[in-house]
Amino acid sequence: MVSANVSGDLSSEMEVDAFRRLFPLRYHERFLLDSIRPDARPLGRARDTSLALGAVASADGSALAKIGCTTMLAAVKMEVMTPPKESPDEGSIAIEFYMPPICSPLVRPGRPAEEAPVVSKQLSDTILRHVNVVTSFSGMINLKELSLVSGKAAWMAYLDIYCLDADGSLFDAALLAAVAAFSHLRIPVVSLNEEGRVVVVSEENEEGKSEKEPVNKGKRKLTLSSLPFSLTCILHKNYILADPTAEEESIMETLVTVVLDSSGQLVSLYKPGGPVLAYASAVQDCIALTRQRVKELKSILNEAISDMEVD
Amino acid sequence: MEFVSPEGLRLDGRRPMEMRQIRGEIGAVAKADGSAFFEMGNTKVIAAVYGPREVENRSQQISDQALVRCEYTMANFSTGDRMRKPKGDRRSTEISLVIRQTMEACILTHLMPRSQIDIFVQVLQADGGTRSACINAATLALADAGIPMRDLVTSCSAGYLNSTPLLDLNYVEDSAGGPDVTVGILPKLDKVTLLQMDAKLPMDIFENVMQLAIEGCKAIANYIREVLLENTKQLEYRRGP
Repeated sequence: MVSANVSGDLSSEMEVDAFRRLFPLRYHERFLLDSIRPDARPLGRARDTSLALGAVASADGSALAKIGCTTMLAAVKMEVMTPPKESPDEGSIAIEFYMPPICSPLVRPGRPAEEAPVVSKQLSDTILRHVNVVTSFSGMINLKELSLVSGKAAWMAYLDIYCLDADGSLFDAALLAAVAAFSHLRIPVVSLNEEGRVVVVSEENEEGKSEKEPVNKGKRKLTLSSLPFSLTCILHKNYILADPTAEEESIMETLVTVVLDSSGQLVSLYKPGGPVLAYASAVQDCIALTRQRVKELKSILNEAISDMEVD
Repeated sequence: MEFVSPEGLRLDGRRPMEMRQIRGEIGAVAKADGSAFFEMGNTKVIAAVYGPREVENRSQQISDQALVRCEYTMANFSTGDRMRKPKGDRRSTEISLVIRQTMEACILTHLMPRSQIDIFVQVLQADGGTRSACINAATLALADAGIPMRDLVTSCSAGYLNSTPLLDLNYVEDSAGGPDVTVGILPKLDKVTLLQMDAKLPMDIFENVMQLAIEGCKAIANYIREVLLENTKQLEYRRGP
């Protein structure tokens, strides 16, 4: 594969792996000229995605999402709390994103990853702000569903997302895992105990406590409307690469993340600087790629949910 | 409370000398130099090994040996109630130290001077025996990373409840207040590298319980050897003729 190269051609004299490490940008550009990437993907295609619901048996809702090698484990645990005075009919959601040192050689104990708080904030903004949009109920979760006894008890849902393997597109995988975990969530049954406090009823106690009237019936799911899905793209010169790996992210730094909901409406658009300045047409192209990706992700999520239901 | 029924069955239906179902898989984390996923019943842990690589803190560099570091963390959702402080608390620090010292004893550190080997263990689900599961996972991960070791290190716990020695305690049995003996051995060399016990136990009964735990460790060692052999066969097959 010796082609004429502009600057003194070392590429014919060294091995592919060494060339990849020493001149990463030139290595990738060689592939981009043929509209393909080192792992044989066309520019607009995302990596193989898979979802498994119910990965954590001890949590009320959980999901394991894998996009290529990037692996995220999300789990939701529900606790009862007293709602604040300003919103006595609403529960609340707390989202945390962790990148433990197992996920990447760049994360060391005592030196946490730079991306962790960024992704954490992005997730909070996307899921929580997408919760209640002024008057029309067009958010993902209606916080009023999380209320138990108005003014006295409501659910606090703790969503913890752990990155088990960081290979690019962390936000996409984390959002997918979060949405899947909420789809899998079953709200536990609670009842009022003698002191008037709301207590979770565990399944073994059900026969003995007939005086305790359950406050909510049976394990129900949350009604989720307009689930958000996202796609991260990288802009490099006039190429748009969808779903970058960690290697591609580190050499071509301009990222654009588009979040669309399942009805095709734009939830958020995120382009945090970067060396490439994009025209509106590039952004339109990213949105078009995201639209396709949303269809794929929706079908993957529905398949995972129906697999769960069969069991 | 009865932990062993008159018919000789434990709370989860096992016999006293029966270990939980174990499962180990290599290569759980693609980005790591070596990684493994290990399950003992409902206790699930992931271990990742990075190294040998350059020492992060020059002042800690050892000129004739590799520096071994270990960090043990539990996921927030790993226990029944959500944990508030999964990392810096005393128990995690103690277990990190125990795992580090156990693995350091069997890694041939003098072959990799001035470098650092990081072992990270993440508990995804905890149901008793997390220490042992972490050591077993770390062994698999170190083998996957190709780090030279004297021998495999395997670990198992045993206890004594209702006058019966029990192998591989789960969380309920562990919190019953009886003694809990954790043993880590080098199976081929037949040496003990880790031995921990809390609560009181008469000496002769202790011998029995420790022997039981060592049997458990040997069984796990056989399983781990099978997993490693299978993995090597796969690698050879993929490499082609």
